[in-house]
Amino acid sequence: MSKGILKIAVASGKGGTGKSCVTSSLAAFSGHLAVDADVEEPNLALLLDMKPSFLKNVEVLVPLIDEERCIDCGKCSRYCRYGAIADIGHGKPFLNPKLCHSCGVCKMVCPVSAITETPKRIGEIRRGISDQLELIEGNLDVGMINSIPVIEKAIETAETRSHLLIIDSPPGTSCPVVATLQNADLAILVTEPTPFGAADLELALQLASDLGIPGGIVINRSDIAKVNIHELGEKYNFPVLAEFPFSRAVAESYARGISPFFIDKNWQDGTKEIWEYIKKELSL
Amino acid sequence: MKPFEIVVLSGKGGTGKTTVTSALSALSEGTAVLCDTDVDAPDLWILLEPVTEKTFVFEGMEMASVDSQKCTGCGKCRDFCRFNAISIKNGKAKVNTSFCEGCGGCELVCPENAVIMKHFKQGEYYFSKTAYGPFLHAQMKPGGENSGLLVQLLRDLAMKEAEKLDKELLIVDGPPGIACPTISSLTGADLAIMVTEPSMSGKHDLERLGQLAFSLDIPACVVINKYDLSERHSMEIEDFCRSVNLPVLGRIPFNKSIVDTLSERKIPLKEMKPQIDEIWNKLIQHRKSLQQSV
Repeated sequence: MSKGILKIAVASGKGGTGKSCVTSSLAAFSGHLAVDADVEEPNLALLLDMKPSFLKNVEVLVPLIDEERCIDCGKCSRYCRYGAIADIGHGKPFLNPKLCHSCGVCKMVCPVSAITETPKRIGEIRRGISDQLELIEGNLDVGMINSIPVIEKAIETAETRSHLLIIDSPPGTSCPVVATLQNADLAILVTEPTPFGAADLELALQLASDLGIPGGIVINRSDIAKVNIHELGEKYNFPVLAEFPFSRAVAESYARGISPFFIDKNWQDGTKEIWEYIKKELSL
Repeated sequence: MKPFEIVVLSGKGGTGKTTVTSALSALSEGTAVLCDTDVDAPDLWILLEPVTEKTFVFEGMEMASVDSQKCTGCGKCRDFCRFNAISIKNGKAKVNTSFCEGCGGCELVCPENAVIMKHFKQGEYYFSKTAYGPFLHAQMKPGGENSGLLVQLLRDLAMKEAEKLDKELLIVDGPPGIACPTISSLTGADLAIMVTEPSMSGKHDLERLGQLAFSLDIPACVVINKYDLSERHSMEIEDFCRSVNLPVLGRIPFNKSIVDTLSERKIPLKEMKPQIDEIWNKLIQHRKSLQQSV
């Protein structure tokens, strides 16, 4: 990881609370590089009105067994903890690429160097540009299990292009979110004041505190329900930075792929507030 | 007959998976076992008011841990690890269990035998009773690993329970996304209901999820939620569904009273009528035709 590159991760726990709306607004307001690390469902380009183009493949290594060399000792199969190499006792071992985690253990344990590795594509990195803005997008191929290498490659690629990244994280609280949060300087957590939003926000707050990352909360559709998010935030020392009431106009423009920042005064003012907080926290 | 397993998915988060699942659970009137495989951010329990009868610890696969007495900080484990799960801090190897995939390579390369593979608690799972039927659910520890394994485990338990009680249905509330936990939720299911919303993002994510279901050979159908927020995009989604032969079970309007009822932690069944009844009826018909075609 490169030092000196500042990273702001926008996350939420629950999906669909408005992460991409907040990320696109912050990028549009500040002009800094946006990173779409929600690689299973990358939607940031739609909101920034970009058609990102191919930059590079993301590949992992999968084993290739040389049947000529293989002495059928069964070690690769025994040491594979994912059950990806079947060894039926006689005949050569058989690889099930769907179960393979690309760990490289089979290659290491093979006593006759019968296993080499070959790259397999699991996704791609794309780049989008518009008048003032740049986007790096990670995009996982449909059917691939492990999104982490795509997330890491997207962030790594972005790090070579800018000193400040605004990262749109995946939903949830498990490894894909950890991949975007763990080296972040600041977390902006987006929620809605429903029981679902609050329950998942609390999990995200726990994760951020476990990782020692400070940050603040944005309450979207702040008037659709009444769970006290301020109180929850105080418990974890995450202040509420902005609140956006439900707006049909915002929902409709979102449907058409227009970030609320471009059409709504509340969002413009709120985004400014969030940015002021970010500037202060990161001493920009 | 084997219980019919329906998994509710969305690709994009926040389209209303859990709301639809809760309504289907209520409409199943005791003929189903229920399951929540969104183990990162489970929300179905909020509406089902479960009474938990058994709690289990989920450990997942073994992961690496380092005996710092033995570790010399040589870095061989770090260099071998493909998952960036090991760093050297203050002259000792340190494992980040959020990234450790449990391959055991570090244990094999360590010249000091300082790496031990062992189980860690990754979360909990629960067997509960609800007014609508037995309910299998879980909670991963924030930052936990192996959620795909936990999903598989929950579905297996739920299926066994459904078989034992001779239930017709297993209804599963799935996770967002299209990778590990989603693939674990879909594989081997009888039908996927994909809940979408009328926006460009909703459509984009539905297309990806549809491809995934198709590649796994799982029959799928679609529910368009909040359809009146953009009738134009609802029509585009329906056109897309027609073009790839995805049946649309129905459309549910945006209705503030649905959100109000959810806020009271109640299932908005009344508020989703009559559309949800139509969806249920079509679902039952669709199931019959799928079972006959087998």
